[in-house]
Amino acid sequence: MSASVVFSKLFEGFGINCTIFFVTLLGALPLGLLVSFGSMSKFRPIRYFINTVVWIIRGSPLMLQIIFIFYVPSLIHIGNPWAAFGTNGRIVAVCVAFIINYACYFSEIFRGGIQSIPKGQYEAGLVLGMTKSQIFFKITLLQVIKRVIPPMGNEFMTLIKDTALANILATREIIWVAKEFTSNRGLIWPLFSTAIFFLVFCGVLTLLFNWLEKKMDYFRT
Amino acid sequence: MKFKKVLALIMTGIMASALIAGCGSDKNESQLQTVKDNGVLKIGYTVYEPMNYEGEDGELTGFDTEFARAVCEKLGVEPEFVLINWSNKIIELESGNIDCIWNGFTITDDMKESVDFSQPYVENKQVLVVNKVNEDVYTSTEALKGKTVAVEAGSAGYSVASGDENIADTVMTVQAQTDALLELKSGTVDAAIFDNTLAENMIGEGTDFADLVVTATLMDEQYAVGFRKGSDLCAEVNKCIDEMRQDGSLTAIADQYGLELAKAE
Repeated sequence: MSASVVFSKLFEGFGINCTIFFVTLLGALPLGLLVSFGSMSKFRPIRYFINTVVWIIRGSPLMLQIIFIFYVPSLIHIGNPWAAFGTNGRIVAVCVAFIINYACYFSEIFRGGIQSIPKGQYEAGLVLGMTKSQIFFKITLLQVIKRVIPPMGNEFMTLIKDTALANILATREIIWVAKEFTSNRGLIWPLFSTAIFFLVFCGVLTLLFNWLEKKMDYFRT
Repeated sequence: MKFKKVLALIMTGIMASALIAGCGSDKNESQLQTVKDNGVLKIGYTVYEPMNYEGEDGELTGFDTEFARAVCEKLGVEPEFVLINWSNKIIELESGNIDCIWNGFTITDDMKESVDFSQPYVENKQVLVVNKVNEDVYTSTEALKGKTVAVEAGSAGYSVASGDENIADTVMTVQAQTDALLELKSGTVDAAIFDNTLAENMIGEGTDFADLVVTATLMDEQYAVGFRKGSDLCAEVNKCIDEMRQDGSLTAIADQYGLELAKAE
């Protein structure tokens, strides 16, 4: 088994990790913002409800959540919602679990960002006759984005590495593929060479975030 | 006061979910009929030579693959091979993602409590594997007293090791049989116990495990197909296996993969 064959298989597997990564971001970023609004809501029942959900999701292992979301609907006989996606059902289930999980983490970061903006700016906006949404989009949001970039960089890196958890549902992501080489060909090195993929990915992320931070540099507060 | 209300709310939630979990278990329906109606038998497998693996052309092949295809043909249904995580096999079976576990599944007394086994079809052995340098030292479990032995969690190797008073206290469980090999090679354990079929394929010349050797056979065991408890599929598949034994087609597949058939009951 030549190295090029092994690497092309690993690359194929890493495609699944990347898919989960991007789909999760696409879902979790907006959902996270929504959840953060919920957790700051003046209406108590919503606030309590959201805080409880965030507590449950942040307080239990992601691996358990993936297992729960995929198996429990059919175990308690309410049907299997993932069957509708055919052979992709497992990956869809993983993505849903990731989106919910990461939305909760993101929401706390967003909340921190939003609440760090001095209240005076909000009041000044009101005095100038701006509406609430105008104040949020024209004054608050850009400052929030700048402030949440460093903690977000952290989360993005954790996310790409967490995607390996998908293999608990037997999805052929990179670690699973590498372990198949160990179990079927007696090759150990593919497993450890998966690190290269993650290192390169995180390297690119680091550069991207450095560049973003520089871009926002003019925006001193 | 507020605390009490919240508590009541939580309790209601818990009871409601218990209610949902409690009802709707329809164990009585015929799984054979369901499978025939759908025209598909969902077979849970892991990639495991020589039972199920991808050949040079990328197609799934192996003893169990061909065997399962032949049985499905007799049942008049299409096989659908579903890749599973071996440690989740019972959940996969119970949740209905698969109809059977057909992947060199060893019959053990513990497993009989969770699944119905078909008749045994292949003989296998559990073997003791050690590093070459210890080849003459660790020839039995007595020599391994106080040493660490790696086995796969929930495997037949685990049953052997935990039932052996020499090594029962020093057994270390790992996720997969092949993880045990990795532990052994890196020297973090002194020995490992796993399937002979796997050992023949995995260690020796041309692999990364060339410096491991088999030093003893600990237990003979048999492979069978696992079904949900009380499933009527089991009897039907047994009938097909009987037919394949009689017309010699099962022997033909076994010979092709160098396996030894289990004796008919």
